[in-house]
Amino acid sequence: MGKGILRYAGLFILLILLQVVVFNNLQLSGYINPYIYVMFILLLPYEISGWLLLGLGLLTGLTVDTFMNTIGMHSSATLFMAFLRPYVLNLFTDREDIDQKGSPSMQVNGLVWFIKYSLVLVFMHHLSLFFIESFAFTGFFHTLWRVILSTLATTAFILILQSLTIKK
Amino acid sequence: MNSLLRFLVKNQFVLLFIVLELFSLWLLSNHSYYQRSKFESVARSVSGYTNSKVDEASSYFNLSETNKVLAQENLELRKQLAVLSSKVELLTEVVGDTITDSVYTYQPARIINNSVNKQYNYLTLNKGSNHGVEVEMGVVTNQGVVGIVAGVSPNYSTVISLLNVDLKLSAKLTRTNHYGSLYWEGGNYQEVTLSDIPQHVPLSIGDTVATSGFSSIFPENIPIGIISSYNSKGSNFHTIKVKLFRDFKQLYNVWIVSNKQKDEQDQLEETINNS
Repeated sequence: MGKGILRYAGLFILLILLQVVVFNNLQLSGYINPYIYVMFILLLPYEISGWLLLGLGLLTGLTVDTFMNTIGMHSSATLFMAFLRPYVLNLFTDREDIDQKGSPSMQVNGLVWFIKYSLVLVFMHHLSLFFIESFAFTGFFHTLWRVILSTLATTAFILILQSLTIKK
Repeated sequence: MNSLLRFLVKNQFVLLFIVLELFSLWLLSNHSYYQRSKFESVARSVSGYTNSKVDEASSYFNLSETNKVLAQENLELRKQLAVLSSKVELLTEVVGDTITDSVYTYQPARIINNSVNKQYNYLTLNKGSNHGVEVEMGVVTNQGVVGIVAGVSPNYSTVISLLNVDLKLSAKLTRTNHYGSLYWEGGNYQEVTLSDIPQHVPLSIGDTVATSGFSSIFPENIPIGIISSYNSKGSNFHTIKVKLFRDFKQLYNVWIVSNKQKDEQDQLEETINNS
Protein backbone atom coordinates (compact mmCIF):
# COMPACT_ATOMS: atom_id res chain seq x y z
CA MET A 1 0.00 0.00 0.00
CA GLY A 2 2.74 2.44 1.04
CA LYS A 3 4.74 1.39 -1.97
CA GLY A 4 1.77 2.09 -4.22
CA ILE A 5 1.41 5.62 -2.85
CA LEU A 6 5.10 6.28 -3.40
CA ARG A 7 4.87 4.99 -6.97
CA TYR A 8 1.93 7.25 -7.74
CA ALA A 9 3.63 10.24 -6.10
CA GLY A 10 6.66 9.57 -8.31
CA LEU A 11 4.46 9.24 -11.39
CA PHE A 12 2.69 12.50 -10.48
CA ILE A 13 5.95 14.45 -10.17
CA LEU A 14 7.38 12.88 -13.30
CA LEU A 15 4.31 13.69 -15.40
CA ILE A 16 4.01 17.27 -14.15
CA LEU A 17 7.71 17.87 -14.81
CA LEU A 18 7.44 16.33 -18.28
CA GLN A 19 4.44 18.53 -19.00
CA VAL A 20 6.00 21.76 -17.73
CA VAL A 21 9.56 21.23 -18.92
CA VAL A 22 9.06 19.44 -22.22
CA PHE A 23 5.51 19.46 -23.55
CA ASN A 24 4.62 23.07 -22.73
CA ASN A 25 7.61 24.15 -24.78
CA LEU A 26 6.74 21.82 -27.60
CA GLN A 27 4.70 23.89 -29.99
CA LEU A 28 3.72 21.84 -32.98
CA SER A 29 1.82 24.46 -34.98
CA GLY A 30 -0.85 26.45 -33.21
CA TYR A 31 -3.25 23.55 -33.25
CA ILE A 32 -1.54 20.78 -31.34
CA ASN A 33 -1.03 21.14 -27.59
CA PRO A 34 -0.45 17.76 -25.98
CA TYR A 35 -1.38 17.63 -22.30
CA ILE A 36 0.12 14.33 -21.21
CA TYR A 37 -0.27 14.95 -17.48
CA VAL A 38 -3.82 13.54 -17.71
CA MET A 39 -2.16 10.12 -17.92
CA PHE A 40 -1.98 10.28 -14.13
CA ILE A 41 -5.78 10.10 -13.90
CA LEU A 42 -5.90 7.30 -16.50
CA LEU A 43 -3.51 5.09 -14.53
CA LEU A 44 -5.04 5.40 -11.05
CA PRO A 45 -6.07 2.03 -9.56
CA TYR A 46 -9.53 0.54 -10.15
CA GLU A 47 -10.49 0.40 -6.50
CA ILE A 48 -9.79 4.08 -5.79
CA SER A 49 -12.61 5.75 -3.88
CA GLY A 50 -14.69 8.44 -5.52
CA TRP A 51 -13.67 11.35 -3.32
CA LEU A 52 -9.96 10.53 -3.71
CA LEU A 53 -10.31 10.29 -7.49
CA LEU A 54 -11.99 13.71 -7.67
CA GLY A 55 -9.53 15.18 -5.17
CA LEU A 56 -6.56 13.98 -7.20
CA GLY A 57 -8.17 15.28 -10.38
CA LEU A 58 -8.49 18.74 -8.84
CA LEU A 59 -4.96 18.61 -7.39
CA THR A 60 -3.41 17.58 -10.71
CA GLY A 61 -5.24 20.34 -12.57
CA LEU A 62 -4.36 22.98 -9.97
CA THR A 63 -0.67 22.02 -10.08
CA VAL A 64 -0.57 22.38 -13.85
CA ASP A 65 -2.54 25.64 -13.59
CA THR A 66 0.05 27.02 -11.20
CA PHE A 67 2.78 26.52 -13.75
CA MET A 68 0.79 27.75 -16.70
CA ASN A 69 -0.83 30.75 -15.08
CA THR A 70 -4.31 29.57 -15.91
CA ILE A 71 -5.87 29.14 -12.46
CA GLY A 72 -9.07 27.10 -12.72
CA MET A 73 -8.82 26.09 -16.37
CA HIS A 74 -6.94 22.81 -16.13
CA SER A 75 -8.48 22.04 -12.74
CA SER A 76 -12.03 22.12 -14.04
CA ALA A 77 -11.15 20.09 -17.14
CA THR A 78 -9.17 17.46 -15.22
CA LEU A 79 -11.86 17.26 -12.56
CA PHE A 80 -14.44 16.64 -15.27
CA MET A 81 -12.28 13.89 -16.70
CA ALA A 82 -11.83 12.26 -13.28
CA PHE A 83 -15.60 12.39 -12.83
CA LEU A 84 -16.17 10.57 -16.13
CA ARG A 85 -13.53 7.91 -15.49
CA PRO A 86 -15.67 5.40 -13.55
CA TYR A 87 -18.43 5.58 -16.16
CA VAL A 88 -16.01 5.04 -19.03
CA LEU A 89 -14.41 2.14 -17.16
CA ASN A 90 -17.85 0.62 -16.63
CA LEU A 91 -18.65 1.02 -20.28
CA PHE A 92 -15.50 -0.63 -21.56
CA THR A 93 -14.79 -3.28 -18.99
CA ASP A 94 -16.38 -6.68 -18.32
CA ARG A 95 -17.71 -7.34 -14.85
CA GLU A 96 -14.84 -9.66 -14.00
CA ASP A 97 -12.19 -7.14 -14.92
CA ILE A 98 -13.60 -4.56 -12.56
CA ASP A 99 -13.02 -6.85 -9.62
CA GLN A 100 -9.44 -7.03 -10.69
CA LYS A 101 -6.82 -5.39 -8.52
CA GLY A 102 -4.34 -3.00 -10.03
CA SER A 103 -4.80 -0.25 -12.55
CA PRO A 104 -5.70 0.08 -16.21
CA SER A 105 -2.67 -0.58 -18.37
CA MET A 106 -1.69 -1.58 -21.85
CA GLN A 107 -0.22 -4.96 -20.83
CA VAL A 108 -3.18 -6.18 -18.86
CA ASN A 109 -6.04 -4.79 -20.92
CA GLY A 110 -4.50 -4.91 -24.36
CA LEU A 111 -3.52 -2.20 -26.79
CA VAL A 112 -6.90 -1.68 -28.44
CA TRP A 113 -8.72 -1.42 -25.12
CA PHE A 114 -6.20 1.05 -23.77
CA ILE A 115 -6.36 3.21 -26.89
CA LYS A 116 -10.16 3.33 -26.70
CA TYR A 117 -10.10 4.11 -22.98
CA SER A 118 -7.47 6.88 -23.35
CA LEU A 119 -9.03 8.39 -26.46
CA VAL A 120 -12.44 8.87 -24.86
CA LEU A 121 -11.16 10.38 -21.61
CA VAL A 122 -8.47 12.52 -23.24
CA PHE A 123 -11.02 13.79 -25.74
CA MET A 124 -13.45 14.78 -22.99
CA HIS A 125 -10.63 16.52 -21.10
CA HIS A 126 -9.41 18.44 -24.14
CA LEU A 127 -12.94 19.28 -25.22
CA SER A 128 -13.75 20.95 -21.92
CA LEU A 129 -10.28 22.51 -21.63
CA PHE A 130 -10.20 24.16 -25.05
CA PHE A 131 -13.77 25.38 -24.85
CA ILE A 132 -13.23 26.82 -21.38
CA GLU A 133 -10.10 28.46 -22.75
CA SER A 134 -11.75 30.14 -25.70
CA PHE A 135 -14.81 30.77 -23.51
CA ALA A 136 -17.15 31.09 -26.45
CA PHE A 137 -18.64 29.08 -29.23
CA THR A 138 -17.45 31.55 -31.82
CA GLY A 139 -14.92 29.76 -33.95
CA PHE A 140 -16.53 26.48 -32.88
CA PHE A 141 -14.90 24.43 -35.63
CA HIS A 142 -11.53 26.06 -35.11
CA THR A 143 -11.61 25.01 -31.46
CA LEU A 144 -13.00 21.58 -32.28
CA TRP A 145 -10.20 21.02 -34.74
CA ARG A 146 -7.67 21.93 -32.04
CA VAL A 147 -9.40 19.49 -29.67
CA ILE A 148 -9.27 16.62 -32.14
CA LEU A 149 -5.66 17.12 -33.21
CA SER A 150 -4.45 17.62 -29.64
CA THR A 151 -6.38 14.56 -28.46
CA LEU A 152 -4.64 12.43 -31.06
CA ALA A 153 -1.24 13.86 -30.12
CA THR A 154 -1.79 13.42 -26.39
CA THR A 155 -3.00 9.85 -26.81
CA ALA A 156 -0.02 9.02 -29.00
CA PHE A 157 2.40 10.39 -26.41
CA ILE A 158 0.61 8.54 -23.61
CA LEU A 159 0.93 5.27 -25.55
CA ILE A 160 4.64 5.90 -26.10
CA LEU A 161 5.16 6.63 -22.40
CA GLN A 162 3.22 3.48 -21.47
CA SER A 163 5.27 1.26 -23.75
CA LEU A 164 8.46 2.77 -22.32
CA THR A 165 7.47 1.80 -18.78
CA ILE A 166 6.51 -1.74 -19.76
CA LYS A 167 10.03 -2.69 -20.79
CA LYS A 168 11.35 -2.05 -17.29
CA MET B 1 -34.92 14.02 6.30
CA ASN B 2 -33.96 10.37 6.12
CA SER B 3 -34.57 10.15 2.42
CA LEU B 4 -32.61 13.35 1.87
CA LEU B 5 -29.66 11.80 3.69
CA ARG B 6 -30.00 8.64 1.64
CA PHE B 7 -30.09 10.69 -1.53
CA LEU B 8 -26.93 12.54 -0.47
CA VAL B 9 -25.08 9.31 0.36
CA LYS B 10 -26.22 7.61 -2.80
CA ASN B 11 -25.14 10.47 -5.02
CA GLN B 12 -22.10 11.61 -3.07
CA PHE B 13 -19.80 11.12 -6.05
CA VAL B 14 -21.87 13.33 -8.34
CA LEU B 15 -22.46 15.92 -5.62
CA LEU B 16 -18.79 16.12 -4.70
CA PHE B 17 -17.98 16.54 -8.38
CA ILE B 18 -20.46 19.40 -8.70
CA VAL B 19 -19.10 21.15 -5.62
CA LEU B 20 -15.46 20.85 -6.73
CA GLU B 21 -16.28 21.83 -10.31
CA LEU B 22 -18.09 24.94 -9.07
CA PHE B 23 -15.05 25.71 -6.93
CA SER B 24 -12.66 25.53 -9.87
CA LEU B 25 -14.97 27.53 -12.11
CA TRP B 26 -15.10 30.13 -9.35
CA LEU B 27 -11.31 30.20 -9.36
CA LEU B 28 -11.39 30.62 -13.12
CA SER B 29 -13.85 33.49 -13.07
CA ASN B 30 -11.93 35.36 -10.38
CA HIS B 31 -8.78 35.13 -12.40
CA SER B 32 -8.56 38.42 -14.19
CA TYR B 33 -5.36 40.21 -14.66
CA TYR B 34 -6.03 43.19 -12.45
CA GLN B 35 -7.13 41.37 -9.35
CA ARG B 36 -4.64 38.67 -8.55
CA SER B 37 -4.83 36.98 -5.24
CA LYS B 38 -2.03 36.34 -2.78
CA PHE B 39 -2.14 32.68 -3.75
CA GLU B 40 -1.04 33.53 -7.23
CA SER B 41 1.85 35.63 -6.11
CA VAL B 42 3.15 32.65 -4.15
CA ALA B 43 2.46 30.40 -7.11
CA ARG B 44 4.37 32.74 -9.35
CA SER B 45 7.44 32.58 -7.13
CA VAL B 46 7.39 28.79 -7.34
CA SER B 47 6.64 28.49 -11.04
CA GLY B 48 8.97 31.38 -11.84
CA TYR B 49 11.81 29.53 -10.16
CA THR B 50 11.22 26.33 -12.14
CA ASN B 51 10.73 28.23 -15.33
CA SER B 52 14.00 30.09 -14.90
CA LYS B 53 15.82 26.80 -14.33
CA VAL B 54 14.28 25.34 -17.46
CA ASP B 55 15.16 28.48 -19.31
CA GLU B 56 18.80 28.40 -18.20
CA ALA B 57 19.12 25.02 -19.82
CA SER B 58 17.24 25.80 -23.00
CA SER B 59 18.82 29.22 -23.56
CA TYR B 60 21.95 27.57 -24.93
CA PHE B 61 20.06 26.31 -27.93
CA ASN B 62 19.09 29.84 -28.92
CA LEU B 63 22.46 31.48 -28.45
CA SER B 64 23.33 31.92 -32.11
CA GLU B 65 19.91 33.33 -32.95
CA THR B 66 20.06 35.64 -29.94
CA ASN B 67 23.50 36.87 -30.92
CA LYS B 68 22.32 37.69 -34.39
CA VAL B 69 19.35 39.65 -33.09
CA LEU B 70 21.48 41.49 -30.55
CA ALA B 71 24.04 42.44 -33.15
CA GLN B 72 21.28 43.75 -35.39
CA GLU B 73 19.79 45.68 -32.49
CA ASN B 74 23.20 47.14 -31.60
CA LEU B 75 23.67 48.30 -35.13
CA GLU B 76 20.34 50.07 -35.17
CA LEU B 77 20.93 51.63 -31.77
CA ARG B 78 24.28 52.94 -32.96
CA LYS B 79 22.63 54.49 -35.96
CA GLN B 80 20.02 56.14 -33.75
CA LEU B 81 22.69 57.28 -31.34
CA ALA B 82 24.58 58.96 -34.14
CA VAL B 83 21.47 60.76 -35.33
CA LEU B 84 20.34 61.73 -31.86
CA SER B 85 23.70 62.93 -30.59
CA SER B 86 24.01 65.26 -33.53
CA LYS B 87 20.54 66.57 -32.73
CA VAL B 88 21.36 67.02 -29.05
CA GLU B 89 24.46 68.96 -29.95
CA LEU B 90 22.41 71.18 -32.15
CA LEU B 91 19.84 71.71 -29.39
CA THR B 92 22.29 72.53 -26.63
CA GLU B 93 24.12 74.90 -28.93
CA VAL B 94 21.08 76.75 -30.11
CA VAL B 95 18.73 76.69 -27.11
CA GLY B 96 21.01 75.71 -24.27
CA ASP B 97 18.38 73.24 -23.12
CA THR B 98 19.29 71.22 -20.07
CA ILE B 99 16.12 69.12 -19.85
CA THR B 100 17.21 66.63 -22.46
CA ASP B 101 16.51 63.69 -20.20
CA SER B 102 14.12 61.22 -21.84
CA VAL B 103 10.68 60.56 -20.41
CA TYR B 104 10.97 56.81 -20.93
CA THR B 105 13.55 54.59 -19.31
CA TYR B 106 14.35 51.12 -20.51
CA GLN B 107 15.46 48.09 -18.60
CA PRO B 108 16.55 44.82 -20.22
CA ALA B 109 14.83 41.58 -19.22
CA ARG B 110 14.74 38.00 -20.38
CA ILE B 111 11.64 35.99 -21.18
CA ILE B 112 11.66 32.80 -19.16
CA ASN B 113 8.24 31.50 -20.09
CA ASN B 114 6.20 32.21 -23.16
CA SER B 115 3.32 30.79 -25.13
CA VAL B 116 1.60 31.67 -28.38
CA ASN B 117 -0.90 28.87 -28.74
CA LYS B 118 -3.59 29.80 -26.24
CA GLN B 119 -6.28 32.44 -26.35
CA TYR B 120 -4.96 34.17 -23.24
CA ASN B 121 -1.21 34.10 -23.59
CA TYR B 122 1.08 35.33 -20.85
CA LEU B 123 4.85 35.68 -20.60
CA THR B 124 7.08 35.56 -17.57
CA LEU B 125 10.12 37.83 -17.25
CA ASN B 126 13.13 37.42 -14.98
CA LYS B 127 12.75 40.91 -13.48
CA GLY B 128 10.40 41.81 -10.66
CA SER B 129 9.62 44.42 -8.03
CA ASN B 130 13.21 44.15 -6.71
CA HIS B 131 14.34 45.59 -10.03
CA GLY B 132 11.75 48.35 -10.02
CA VAL B 133 9.21 46.67 -12.29
CA GLU B 134 5.64 47.76 -11.65
CA VAL B 135 2.25 46.71 -12.92
CA GLU B 136 1.21 48.42 -16.18
CA MET B 137 4.69 49.01 -17.48
CA GLY B 138 5.13 48.27 -21.18
CA VAL B 139 7.30 45.52 -22.62
CA VAL B 140 8.85 46.03 -26.05
CA THR B 141 11.60 44.91 -28.38
CA ASN B 142 13.22 47.06 -31.02
CA GLN B 143 10.79 45.54 -33.51
CA GLY B 144 7.52 45.65 -31.75
CA VAL B 145 5.33 45.62 -28.73
CA VAL B 146 5.34 42.50 -26.58
CA GLY B 147 2.78 43.27 -23.90
CA ILE B 148 1.98 44.94 -20.59
CA VAL B 149 3.15 43.88 -17.14
CA ALA B 150 0.19 42.37 -15.28
CA GLY B 151 1.68 41.21 -12.03
CA VAL B 152 4.98 41.29 -10.19
CA SER B 153 6.61 39.22 -7.49
CA PRO B 154 10.02 40.14 -6.02
CA ASN B 155 12.04 38.50 -8.79
CA TYR B 156 9.61 37.80 -11.62
CA SER B 157 6.84 39.49 -13.48
CA THR B 158 4.04 38.23 -15.66
CA VAL B 159 3.16 40.04 -18.85
CA ILE B 160 -0.11 39.93 -20.79
CA SER B 161 1.12 39.16 -24.23
CA LEU B 162 -0.02 41.12 -27.26
CA LEU B 163 -1.28 37.66 -28.23
CA ASN B 164 -3.95 37.78 -25.55
CA VAL B 165 -7.48 38.45 -26.68
CA ASP B 166 -7.97 40.72 -23.67
CA LEU B 167 -5.30 43.21 -24.67
CA LYS B 168 -5.99 46.29 -26.79
CA LEU B 169 -3.41 48.88 -27.79
CA SER B 170 -3.57 52.22 -29.47
CA ALA B 171 -1.67 52.07 -32.75
CA LYS B 172 -1.34 54.26 -35.83
CA LEU B 173 -0.43 54.13 -39.49
CA THR B 174 2.99 55.70 -39.71
CA ARG B 175 2.31 57.13 -43.17
CA THR B 176 -0.91 59.01 -42.42
CA ASN B 177 -0.84 59.20 -38.61
CA HIS B 178 -4.40 57.88 -38.29
CA TYR B 179 -4.79 55.93 -35.09
CA GLY B 180 -6.97 52.96 -34.23
CA SER B 181 -7.08 50.10 -31.81
CA LEU B 182 -4.90 47.05 -32.23
CA TYR B 183 -5.76 43.62 -30.87
CA TRP B 184 -5.31 39.93 -31.49
CA GLU B 185 -8.27 37.85 -32.63
CA GLY B 186 -6.93 34.58 -31.34
CA GLY B 187 -6.12 32.78 -34.57
CA ASN B 188 -2.81 33.13 -36.38
CA TYR B 189 -0.14 34.22 -33.91
CA GLN B 190 1.74 36.23 -36.48
CA GLU B 191 -1.17 38.46 -37.34
CA VAL B 192 -3.06 41.07 -35.33
CA THR B 193 -6.00 43.27 -36.26
CA LEU B 194 -6.14 47.06 -36.46
CA SER B 195 -9.63 48.53 -36.43
CA ASP B 196 -11.29 51.95 -36.20
CA ILE B 197 -9.35 53.43 -39.12
CA PRO B 198 -11.99 55.42 -41.07
CA GLN B 199 -12.96 54.47 -44.64
CA HIS B 200 -11.58 57.60 -46.26
CA VAL B 201 -8.00 56.81 -45.30
CA PRO B 202 -6.18 55.36 -48.30
CA LEU B 203 -4.38 52.16 -47.41
CA SER B 204 -1.87 50.06 -49.20
CA ILE B 205 -0.50 46.67 -48.38
CA GLY B 206 2.93 46.97 -46.83
CA ASP B 207 2.23 50.17 -44.86
CA THR B 208 3.87 50.21 -41.45
CA VAL B 209 1.88 50.23 -38.23
CA ALA B 210 3.46 51.63 -35.06
CA THR B 211 2.44 52.58 -31.53
CA SER B 212 0.59 55.86 -31.26
CA GLY B 213 2.03 57.04 -27.97
CA PHE B 214 -1.45 58.02 -26.77
CA SER B 215 -1.39 55.71 -23.80
CA SER B 216 1.13 56.52 -21.14
CA ILE B 217 2.50 52.98 -21.36
CA PHE B 218 4.32 52.84 -24.69
CA PRO B 219 6.45 55.50 -26.34
CA GLU B 220 5.48 56.67 -29.79
CA ASN B 221 6.65 55.07 -33.02
CA ILE B 222 7.63 51.61 -31.91
CA PRO B 223 7.15 49.62 -35.12
CA ILE B 224 4.67 46.76 -34.80
CA GLY B 225 4.15 45.28 -38.24
CA ILE B 226 3.02 45.84 -41.80
CA ILE B 227 -0.43 45.69 -43.35
CA SER B 228 -0.91 42.30 -44.96
CA SER B 229 -4.53 42.68 -46.02
CA TYR B 230 -7.55 44.83 -45.34
CA ASN B 231 -11.28 44.61 -45.65
CA SER B 232 -13.51 47.62 -46.07
CA LYS B 233 -16.88 46.06 -46.73
CA GLY B 234 -20.04 47.25 -45.08
CA SER B 235 -18.86 49.60 -42.39
CA ASN B 236 -17.38 53.02 -41.90
CA PHE B 237 -14.10 51.58 -40.76
CA HIS B 238 -11.41 49.42 -42.27
CA THR B 239 -10.57 46.11 -40.67
CA ILE B 240 -6.86 45.71 -41.22
CA LYS B 241 -4.73 42.62 -40.77
CA VAL B 242 -1.25 43.47 -39.60
CA LYS B 243 1.61 41.02 -39.90
CA LEU B 244 3.94 41.34 -36.92
CA PHE B 245 7.63 42.10 -37.45
CA ARG B 246 8.77 39.82 -34.68
CA ASP B 247 7.98 36.14 -34.45
CA PHE B 248 6.68 35.74 -30.90
CA LYS B 249 8.05 32.23 -30.78
CA GLN B 250 11.56 33.61 -31.13
CA LEU B 251 11.25 36.31 -28.49
CA TYR B 252 13.98 36.16 -25.92
CA ASN B 253 15.40 39.49 -24.86
CA VAL B 254 13.00 42.36 -24.27
CA TRP B 255 12.94 45.82 -22.75
CA ILE B 256 10.68 46.92 -19.93
CA VAL B 257 9.61 50.51 -20.53
CA SER B 258 8.70 52.81 -17.72
CA ASN B 259 7.33 56.27 -18.19
CA LYS B 260 8.60 58.66 -15.56
CA GLN B 261 5.70 61.02 -16.11
CA LYS B 262 3.02 58.34 -16.29
CA ASP B 263 1.46 59.30 -12.95
CA GLU B 264 1.35 62.93 -13.94
CA GLN B 265 -0.34 62.14 -17.25
CA ASP B 266 -2.81 59.71 -15.70
CA GLN B 267 -3.75 62.14 -12.94
CA LEU B 268 -4.30 64.95 -15.36
CA GLU B 269 -6.48 62.78 -17.59
CA GLU B 270 -8.40 61.59 -14.55
CA THR B 271 -9.28 65.09 -13.44
CA ILE B 272 -10.66 65.87 -16.88
CA ASN B 273 -12.72 62.69 -16.96
CA ASN B 274 -14.13 63.36 -13.51
CA SER B 275 -15.15 66.95 -14.00
